Amino acid sequence: MSGYGGAGPVVHDPTTLPADDNVTKYTFCVELKGSPWFLQKGKMIAYYGAIEFNGVGHGRLDRLVRTSFHSPLHASDWVVAEGSGRMLLADRAFDVNSYDLDDGNLTIRSGNLLAFQPSLALKQSIVPGFLTLIGTGKFVAASNGPVVFLEPPIRVDPQALVGWADCPSPCHHYDHGYLTGVMGGLRAMTGLGGASGEEHQFEFVGAGTVLLQSSETLMPEQDTGVVPAEPGVPGRTGTPAGHGAQAGAPRLPGQLGDLQRRFGL
Amino acid sequence: MTLREINPKMVEAVVGPGVRLFSQRGAMLAYRGEVSFTPSIQGGQGGLASMIGRRVAGEATPLMAVEGSGTVFFGHGGHHVHVVHLSGDTLHVEADRLLAFEGTLRQGTMFMGSEGGVMGMVRGQVTGQGLFTTTLQGHGSAAVMAHGGVFEVPIAPDHPVHVDPQAYVAHRGDVRNRLSAALGWRDMVGRGSGEAFQLELSGSGTVYVQASEEKL
Repeated sequence: MSGYGGAGPVVHDPTTLPADDNVTKYTFCVELKGSPWFLQKGKMIAYYGAIEFNGVGHGRLDRLVRTSFHSPLHASDWVVAEGSGRMLLADRAFDVNSYDLDDGNLTIRSGNLLAFQPSLALKQSIVPGFLTLIGTGKFVAASNGPVVFLEPPIRVDPQALVGWADCPSPCHHYDHGYLTGVMGGLRAMTGLGGASGEEHQFEFVGAGTVLLQSSETLMPEQDTGVVPAEPGVPGRTGTPAGHGAQAGAPRLPGQLGDLQRRFGL
Repeated sequence: MTLREINPKMVEAVVGPGVRLFSQRGAMLAYRGEVSFTPSIQGGQGGLASMIGRRVAGEATPLMAVEGSGTVFFGHGGHHVHVVHLSGDTLHVEADRLLAFEGTLRQGTMFMGSEGGVMGMVRGQVTGQGLFTTTLQGHGSAAVMAHGGVFEVPIAPDHPVHVDPQAYVAHRGDVRNRLSAALGWRDMVGRGSGEAFQLELSGSGTVYVQASEEKL
């Protein structure tokens, strides 16, 4: 980026590419030396050297998958990069950053995780759509706009949440104070005045760090696989005795569109 | 300084007793403390008349009032955000470019035709502002959204500034603007330079320009 002042773009060769660091805000360079990396399919944009990309589940990688990949059902979305060289990772001009975990844990939205070292263990989070990384190592994640680190207690818009580290899983928080009282009742009855769009947040408490992206643009969600249908396991959708078609998205009174429904349109 | 940029796409605002904000609905990213977000039926300040004025003018972007005590983070659509601090002067900006602004600022609606008559209305059409634009006046700060980064170009009495209408974001101060057309026969036969219309701003103040010709 520094060379844009008039000297033309910076030209990199294998020796000047940064090792395990950002090339630009949107590109990350991984140095491969012996130890393999896991990466999400289609996130590699270029590489130097002799690197082999194998789908997870490839015979001799079985042991690796067993030790650092704990949700075998979505393993097909990942590939293992092995060999020596440098590879560039990017994802549709989203900001890319690397994070170091030191015997820690971090939960991240599944679509945002680009790559990680096998010294980390990847597990499904109890929160649907999120993955948890446990252990020591480096991983690369994307976000829309720079990531901001915040400490709990904090309430976060669901679309702006990238992930969280070390703190307990969030809970839902609903703000609908403006729907009480006479004016609020009228608002709720008629749907007039609309909703603020901020009735629902994720609330974080305890000690840790919350990762927030700078906009509400989500990355396409990656399937995190299904959880076994056992009694006591949350997040299993499609269980018998469903409560209506869209039980997943509760509607608040006063949301736009209620008026039409009231009139049966 | 209630509003503060913490990175190019996000602003932090501190609300407390007596300090409230208006922001675009759905633009809150996170908050700390006890803060309430109330959809503002009137779409901002002023009485019922202002509300009707805004509705008629098409400047009634859904807003919400942010009150309470705590810290709020705003960002929207991955757009770049620029905080403008006003001290008594007037900011002219399109309502849908306003991410958040302090409650101390007086919000108004201005008819484009009041500056330059019919040509002003044409100018509004070309810049995408429509026939009306929003004004903010007083002391306080406002966060303005733009596609790509924002830069400020100062306008001095003897140095008028020409801006591509699509890259124009907002302006402040005592500024007259005029659409200057450089239409020739080439434009008529479809061989124009694509820069036939320019916004000429003169007077004294500042114009905010985005580094892109894309609208929000």
